[in-house]
Parts: sequence; C-alpha cells; structure tokens
Amino acid sequence: MITRATIVGAGGLGGPISYALARAHIELTIVDPDVVELSNLHRQIQFTAGDVGTAKATRLASSVVARGGTARGLVTRWTAARADEISGDVDLIIDASDDPETKFAVADWAVANGRLYVIAAALRYGGNVMAGAPGVACYRCLFEEPSEVPSCSEVGVLGPVVGAIGGVAAAIALGLVQGARTYAGALLAFDDLRTVAEPRVVRYAPRPGCPACMRAPISPLAAPPVRVAESS
Amino acid sequence: MPTIRVPSALRTFTKGASDVEITATTVRDALTELERLHPGIGARLMTDGVVKPFIRIYVGADDIGDLGGLDAKVSERDEISIIPAIAGGAGA
Repeated sequence: MITRATIVGAGGLGGPISYALARAHIELTIVDPDVVELSNLHRQIQFTAGDVGTAKATRLASSVVARGGTARGLVTRWTAARADEISGDVDLIIDASDDPETKFAVADWAVANGRLYVIAAALRYGGNVMAGAPGVACYRCLFEEPSEVPSCSEVGVLGPVVGAIGGVAAAIALGLVQGARTYAGALLAFDDLRTVAEPRVVRYAPRPGCPACMRAPISPLAAPPVRVAESS
Repeated sequence: MPTIRVPSALRTFTKGASDVEITATTVRDALTELERLHPGIGARLMTDGVVKPFIRIYVGADDIGDLGGLDAKVSERDEISIIPAIAGGAGA
C-alpha cells in the first residue's frame, strides 16, 4: 500500500522531514511559495548557494527524487481553500511552515478529514512537535488560536536545531503511519537542544467546545457509548 | 523558592536565563513577580490579566487549567513551565 503525505514548508524543517519520509517510501507533495535566499542556507542544508533564487518546493522535490524518492513540488501557499485539492489523497500531513495561521489550518483540516498530522516548529535553540490522529485532542485544543508568536526573523534559530526538530517530527510521523499512538495528542517541547536533548512531553485533554474537534468525524469530545447491561 | 522555566523564545527578556526563582504562593503571583524582575515578558504571556490562548502554563506536570487557573497554588519546590506555541522553521 502506498502512503502519501503533504509536507507544508520546504525550509529548515521540511528538508529533513522530506528526506526521511521519502526514504521510507512515502510519496510526497511538498508545498512552499518561497524561493531560496542566501540567508536560508545556514539552516536549510538541502539547498546550496547555486539554488538561491529557485523555488524551494520544486528544488527540494527534485533533490528527493534524485535520492530515489517520489515527490512533487508545488510553488504555492497551502491554504484551507486549496487543501482538498492539494492534500485530498494523503494519509498524513506535516506542517513545517513558519506561519501560525498555516499551522492551525493544517491541523484543522486534518482533524476535519480524519487524517494523521504533525505540527513542527523550531525557534532559537528549541522547538515543538505535536502529533495528531483521529479521536485525540488536537492542536487547537492546546493553543486555541493563532496569535503573535515569536518568529525566526525576530529571535533567530540555531541551524542544527531545525535538523534535530525535523528528525523528531519525521520519526513521529513514521510512527503514526505505522499505527503507533504513543504521542498522538501530545506535544513534545524541546527547550534548549544545546544543553538538554530530552523533550518535555506535554499531554493534554480535549478542550470542551473546541471547534475543530466538534467537526471531527471521530471526535474526542463525543460521549462514550452507553453500555447497557444485559439482563440474564 | 518556586522556579519558573522560561522557554527559549522568551529568554531575550531574562538576559538568557532559563530558570528564574521567584517568591510566590500562586501562579498569578509568580507571573507578576516575573514581570517585575524582567519587564516586558508579562505582556507576552497575558492580556488584561488573562493568559494568552497560545500560551500554556504548567505546574509540574499539570496544566494550570486543571489546578484552578492563575490562582493555582505553588510551593517551594514547584517548577512552573511556560509552553508557548512557536512557528519558526521554514521562512526567510
């Protein structure tokens, strides 16, 4: 059986995630509207100086294919409006973008469509990885809504951190695809990878009234089935 | 004293310190003290006295939402963790 995945973001996280999943024979659609810039190269090690000015999504997809994987690149922004068109046939979607709105859109779409998903982010010396699956608390249960979260352009990111966080996100994604639910509905928070490699595993309950979960085909907010004792 | 673990993304306010010891008996007091010691960080955590929706605060392993919110009690050995949503990773 072929597993298909969308990788939203072809940057520092999307690079290692794409390579790892492709090596596991997952067919990829890599989505990113941006072009490679010189300032990206310290952390987006899938690109070289010769790639500056080329589209990240197609350049990364070509690199994946050159390594024996299956991938296509879409030079566009992944949005909820185009989600079904871009990701309608996937089993798994991974957000590796740097945009809060996109992270929530990816999570909401995955929850509404009963898909596996991973939300990854890296900043300064640490990062977060959240794993999602049908029937468990979602990204919106935890953080509720996008807001003015810090960005790499504001506070920077250490180059190797994105590789490490991307590797964790890929490993968790592969686990989800293989049926593991160890981290489904949990957030792994890496505080400072320069000094501590162990994540804090944040587990949380479904948030009552979560609009994403209320629309989910398999909702963690649904009441458990009432068991009726059989009379003898 | 209780310790507040400051996430990497907010350490620009604490001169790089990852742990800040404070004198407090509730989470609310702890965050007020944190703002007094490191001005500016409070506005990143709360609006009008309410924790922002993309910030989660834990005492030990427990979300303060399960402990009474900002009025959750903290003791000498408690560790208060701030877990923010972050979004970096792909952009220019």
